[in-house]
Amino acid sequence: MEAVAAETSLRSQAQTWTSLIRRVRNHEMPPRGALAPSLDEVERFSQWAEQALRREICALGPAPGPAVVRRLNRDEYAATLRDLLDIHLDIASALPADGAGGEGFDNAAETLFLSPLLAEKYLEVAKFAIDYAAKEHKSRLKVLIASPGNGLTEGQAARAVLEDFLPKAFRRPVTADEVASYLGLFHAARRLGQPYDGAVFFALRGALISPSFLFRVEAPHSSPEPRPLDSYALASRLSYFLWGSMPDELLFDVAAAGKLHDPQVLGVLTRRMLRHDRALGFAQRFVEQWLGTRALLTDKAPDAKLFPQYAADEELRSDIRLQPVLFFQEVFVRDLPLTDFLDSPHTVGTSNLSKLFGFELAVRKDRRKQPQWVELPEGSHRGGLLGMPAVLAVSSYPYRTSPVLRGAFILEALLGEPPPPPPPGVPPLDQPGQILAAASVRERLERHRADPACGSCHSRIDPLGFALENYDVLGRWRDEEGGKPIDHAGELPGGVRFRGPAELKKVLLERKDAFVRNLTAKMLGYALGRGLTLTDACAVEQIVEHVRAHDYRAQALIDGIVGSIPFRMQAPSQAASISRKESSVR
Amino acid sequence: MSHPLSRRTVLRGAGVTLGLPWLEAMAARTPPASAKPPVRLAVLYMPNGVNTAMWTPPEAGRGFALSPALEPLADLRDDLTVVSNLWNEATKGGDGHYVKESAILTCATIKKTPGADIANGVSMDQVAAKAVARRTPLPSLELGVTPVAIGVDLVVGYTRIYGSHIAWSSPTTPLAREINPRLVWERLFRAAAGTPAHSARLDGLLLDRVLADARRLRGQVGAADQVRLDEYLSVMRSLEERVERSNSASQTRWRPRAPLDPKQAPVPHPAGHAEHVRLMLDMIAAAFQSDTTRVATFMFGNAVSNVSFRFLEGVTAGHHDVSHHQKDPAKLREYFLINRWHVEQFAYLLRRLRNLREGESNILDNSMVLFASALSDGDRHDPHKLPLVLGGRAGGRLDAGQHLVFPEDTPAANLYLSMLDAFGAPVERFADSSGKLPGLLRS
Repeated sequence: MEAVAAETSLRSQAQTWTSLIRRVRNHEMPPRGALAPSLDEVERFSQWAEQALRREICALGPAPGPAVVRRLNRDEYAATLRDLLDIHLDIASALPADGAGGEGFDNAAETLFLSPLLAEKYLEVAKFAIDYAAKEHKSRLKVLIASPGNGLTEGQAARAVLEDFLPKAFRRPVTADEVASYLGLFHAARRLGQPYDGAVFFALRGALISPSFLFRVEAPHSSPEPRPLDSYALASRLSYFLWGSMPDELLFDVAAAGKLHDPQVLGVLTRRMLRHDRALGFAQRFVEQWLGTRALLTDKAPDAKLFPQYAADEELRSDIRLQPVLFFQEVFVRDLPLTDFLDSPHTVGTSNLSKLFGFELAVRKDRRKQPQWVELPEGSHRGGLLGMPAVLAVSSYPYRTSPVLRGAFILEALLGEPPPPPPPGVPPLDQPGQILAAASVRERLERHRADPACGSCHSRIDPLGFALENYDVLGRWRDEEGGKPIDHAGELPGGVRFRGPAELKKVLLERKDAFVRNLTAKMLGYALGRGLTLTDACAVEQIVEHVRAHDYRAQALIDGIVGSIPFRMQAPSQAASISRKESSVR
Repeated sequence: MSHPLSRRTVLRGAGVTLGLPWLEAMAARTPPASAKPPVRLAVLYMPNGVNTAMWTPPEAGRGFALSPALEPLADLRDDLTVVSNLWNEATKGGDGHYVKESAILTCATIKKTPGADIANGVSMDQVAAKAVARRTPLPSLELGVTPVAIGVDLVVGYTRIYGSHIAWSSPTTPLAREINPRLVWERLFRAAAGTPAHSARLDGLLLDRVLADARRLRGQVGAADQVRLDEYLSVMRSLEERVERSNSASQTRWRPRAPLDPKQAPVPHPAGHAEHVRLMLDMIAAAFQSDTTRVATFMFGNAVSNVSFRFLEGVTAGHHDVSHHQKDPAKLREYFLINRWHVEQFAYLLRRLRNLREGESNILDNSMVLFASALSDGDRHDPHKLPLVLGGRAGGRLDAGQHLVFPEDTPAANLYLSMLDAFGAPVERFADSSGKLPGLLRS
């Protein structure tokens, strides 16, 4: 097979090759009727083609994408209103949730659609938020920086307020024309009999439904070469990446001074940003989408009849859900090695989690219920993500564990090697509806694995999952199930053998570069808010290299991402078409 | 910890909803003088297919005996039209779920993508909604009970956005759904109340301003991004039109056909799946009765939904898990129980509509409620012989009370073509339609 492709065609026909790889992997190629390659051959071909493709494309170095116009997603919109007006309301729950695309996050530009429902909500929320801010003393002071009197006319005072407010709302300097047009709203409202304050707040309300507020707009350029991103656009990229909200004053100032592209300044700024309260939102959004733990609120909620303790105890549920989020945040704030996600001498604990784990975590006596950073005792089986109930539950059925689901979770979420779809016409290996003893699950799986159509993938998936069988759906430790000892042995193709979670983690730690590469790709996709392209794979490699050179420290990943070409630069945009397509919308 | 954490700040904000304005304004408005009742259209969508052995009634024609799965509709049989043997050819390839489920109302082949170039067709309900958009405060309602499924299904390569939307206003625009019954109610209420003249005038000024911003921005961005601003211009303009309409003194001004009763406001956080579904169906009834909208779609779950049905006696697992029964009799029994539960909810809505009088008739008489799944046997992901049942009479246009069996592989689009005609929004063709279904409508 390898002889077929001249490597130069990889570069010139990159898109064709990518789609070919995808179709071979999905068993869409070769077409039905032709001699089908074995799954092993499919895998070998795809891996070879992917590596060759990456090598060819990276010969040119990383390249940025073009500027984009993206709608603030629900969480970003709510957080931005909060910070802009200094109001603390649960605005997000009034809006519909956003779907996800790209690398699997709900901030992907391409899947942030606008619907009539959302437009209606924007109009209502803007009024609600502004009315609320107009009544709150703190918010009023923040917004109404000038009032008429002492030599200021009404118009002058309103202008001063707008000149202060609009750049914050639009996250960039505004033109005199823009100020004048919003001042026009103020005057119109005055003519309609609104009092001065009401008319000013009315003009601000307009700003909150303007596309300049609702969208992050990066100005395009048409010079042939990539250019550094405009400072203010970069400030927004940084703040929406690490805070999920608008830039603060300091970021604005640094942007205004033109210092934002300086790597040292970036390093200091990102460290400061990660320590800020707002970074908790980043941790929560990223982790819950990366690991899929949001589904604990819906389809993946452990069954209430089988796990009444979980269903009844809201505090326990929230401790379980927050544990990986807070652990993530600590790893970054403390600048720990990223391998701590695979195994770690620490975790985030509470007294509720102590009970679930069956041993005492070293939580402080005076605040046992508050989540806190604790050292784990030797042999606790709780180090790293795979010792956390949220992860163990989300990779189970709601009513029993599944080595297949947990194995697939490790491959997909941790190693970034999602197993290909099962070949057509093959029934699923795992019978989900029945409550089965672990031993009989293994028996079934082994019988199926003997079938070569299933075996070549499941021999990679199942052993990983079996090593976690000591954890039940809620992540509680068990040495036996249904009177039989837990069978936690696994053997991967190639003869790598392991027993139980501790040995599994050693195996995973040997593959730490795959883990770091996957985490890097996910986080770069999140930071850019779009799906990664072929050329982004080169940036990912460079960042992984940077992380490796810094002993896998977490901060090195952040530095690598914000310093990367796709994050800081922009490619020329395709020129706007001359035909005014807009008129057809009317 | 490096800094103190408050559980509260992480999990939930202050819990404020937007509240209900203009209560008096609503009360002051009066129902219209009797006019010919409009036709309403709703679609209730069930994911994951059916236990086919229990679904299709054994005989065709009038006076047909109901199948076990349709048994809960016994008292409504004369208001039903069971439609058998239709399929959705555009969905025969691709994966087992996203391709089928997101195209149930579009009859198009969706594009396989993690998101960058999403493409489907325009859904049948939106064709209807566009035809009557100016006659009601809301063009349509999109409802569900589970949030949009997050992420990209890496195994098959589709963004889960596909599986979370059946209503598409354009091939690239899935319509966001509302899942909180209280928010739906407030929205209906607000829409029905209209905007007082003074506020409408102010809102109009704002919308003018931001539309101008969008037009200016549109000229400054690259070609690819103009689409985003076109989307903005389109939804903001329709909002502007609505504001203008509610403010205009013309005689065409809309009035509710029945007032919305503030006492009927539902709880915002229902206790379980079953209650949640009922409350959302109540919202469809309230919207249809008041004539706040004439078009609604409701999703019982997203594609591949694995909502646990263990709350049903005899069911041991989640919806999608059960649908892969592998011909195991015990699993098939559970699958049937889940299907029947969905039919009970359908029956609940039909009865509610039947109990709402409207002049000489009732709302059900003036509605078409389609119950649909995009698969027949979920275990085989089969898009043939789709489970489709219509309730209501569409103001007398639907010749209800029959089980119609068509030649195998008749396009589902033919049903939609007929329904659009009965709705009063006839089109020449819909997707791959080849003609209206004979026997469905009275001419």
